Amino acid sequence: MTFKLPPGLALQKVDERIMTLNVGPQHPGSGHMRLIVQIDGDYIVACDPDPGYVHRGEEKMAEYRNYILNIPHLERPVIHDSCNVLYPYVLGAEEIIGIEVSERAKYVRVIASELNRCIYIMYWLAIYGIFLGHSTMFMWPAGDRELLIDLMEKITGARVTHAYFVPGGVRNDLPPNFEDVCLRQVNYFEKRIKEYAAIFYDNPILIARTRDTGVLSRQDAIRYGTTGSVLRASGVDYDLRVKEPYDVYEELDVHTNVMKEGDSYARSKIPWLDMLESCNIIRQALQKIPKSGSVRTKLKPNPKGKGLDSVYKRVESGRGSLGCYIVSDGKVEPYRVKLSVPSFRNLIALPNLLRGEKLGNMPSVYWSLNYWPVEADR
Amino acid sequence: MGTATGIIRALNSGIKHIAMKRFTLRYPEEKLKFVGDGYQFDPSTGVGIAGLKGRHMLFHDHCTGCQLCSIACEGVAEAIAMVKVPEEQKHNKKSIMPQIDYGKCVFCGLCVDACPFYALYMTNDYELSSFSKEGLIYTPAQLQVKPYVAQDSEIQISDRGATHG
Repeated sequence: MTFKLPPGLALQKVDERIMTLNVGPQHPGSGHMRLIVQIDGDYIVACDPDPGYVHRGEEKMAEYRNYILNIPHLERPVIHDSCNVLYPYVLGAEEIIGIEVSERAKYVRVIASELNRCIYIMYWLAIYGIFLGHSTMFMWPAGDRELLIDLMEKITGARVTHAYFVPGGVRNDLPPNFEDVCLRQVNYFEKRIKEYAAIFYDNPILIARTRDTGVLSRQDAIRYGTTGSVLRASGVDYDLRVKEPYDVYEELDVHTNVMKEGDSYARSKIPWLDMLESCNIIRQALQKIPKSGSVRTKLKPNPKGKGLDSVYKRVESGRGSLGCYIVSDGKVEPYRVKLSVPSFRNLIALPNLLRGEKLGNMPSVYWSLNYWPVEADR
Repeated sequence: MGTATGIIRALNSGIKHIAMKRFTLRYPEEKLKFVGDGYQFDPSTGVGIAGLKGRHMLFHDHCTGCQLCSIACEGVAEAIAMVKVPEEQKHNKKSIMPQIDYGKCVFCGLCVDACPFYALYMTNDYELSSFSKEGLIYTPAQLQVKPYVAQDSEIQISDRGATHG
């Protein structure tokens, strides 16, 4: 039996020109992961991402808790996007338990998940700005995010980790007079993010740094199985809200943003266009939401599935298609919960994007993949 | 668009913000206003009432010592322990009531959803810092106290930007 050391720990015979550099796990340019980069002078020869530093065993934990008590810990992987992380699990649990959701609850869910998507993207954008040394782009999104966090706090009672979606609907109704407050703040938020174009997206310095770096072709994007903004930046028109509408997305007019370039610039611009689209969806949902009705179908104390059953549901999260596979054996706890996360799929493309790039472009290419380390490790 | 024009436009966009109002909450002096009196739950309809998920409040006359909140918390944070309450306090037949450790609580509010007797609610109080770990453990007598909150700042939007008015 031979014991194989993990990559990066084993002694490697390297060319005298080529140096191995460990970026992370305690490096601001890599998040909670390590990138093992081999460089020749200033150019990257090979890159080996090494995730797994923030593994929490969410999937195993889910096997010991019932369908309701799984909610607070399953949203932990991405605390800024907690409604969207929970969405596929809740849709799957509803099918296994066999309960119906009221129309109003579906609209409330859409509003909450679109607000959450914007909150996540603003946080991502703030970090993207500081990775590129653009301090204004760190301060503005971090500040404007407060408008939406305030709305989520009004709905759910928590600023992050809302624990809001449950099988059967949502936990509480919208507060009184919410529609007016939401419309006012979302309109102002949209006006604010449109100002980012002049300072960030049309800024020649940003374009010089990100244009034609880390180009992912259309064929490669499909072959590696990337999802979400990475896929749409490479020219593939694919958005689960349009292609496989869940809840009430088929009644709403959702426009998919697609760019053809496939470089870091396109990958950084698509989430920003998605935020503008999210504002449209929130406004439509606020118009179409039924004015009254229950938001939560009453559950029996310990809900369980009917015998052997399995279900796979997926939603479009802030990063891409997020799936949840639940197997039930008729007990109170699920037999298996598997999260299929977009971050890990997008990471697969990273070694190929970085080959031949300059080391200085590494942070911008890496973060443009819309990657969240904790979600990839689960 | 030329490079120089683009840079001037970017600078101009930043300079315009000198005239904008400050969108920072000056925390200890100003505090955010929340909707309602904290997260509550109505067991008859099975739907919650929107509000901040802050520190709990326990109504001693409603609590029967059924331990459902403690059972709900077992799978989440294990923050709730059922403790004996002294004889002189108003208590239930079992004379046990929840004691909450805020060093462990994640403020998910599932204990409030579990209570069928309208005994456990959440309040707008979120300032729970303490110098010791023991100070974060709230006994039933401490949970009975209704917190004093002075929160009045709301987001206001004008032509010169948003502020916490």
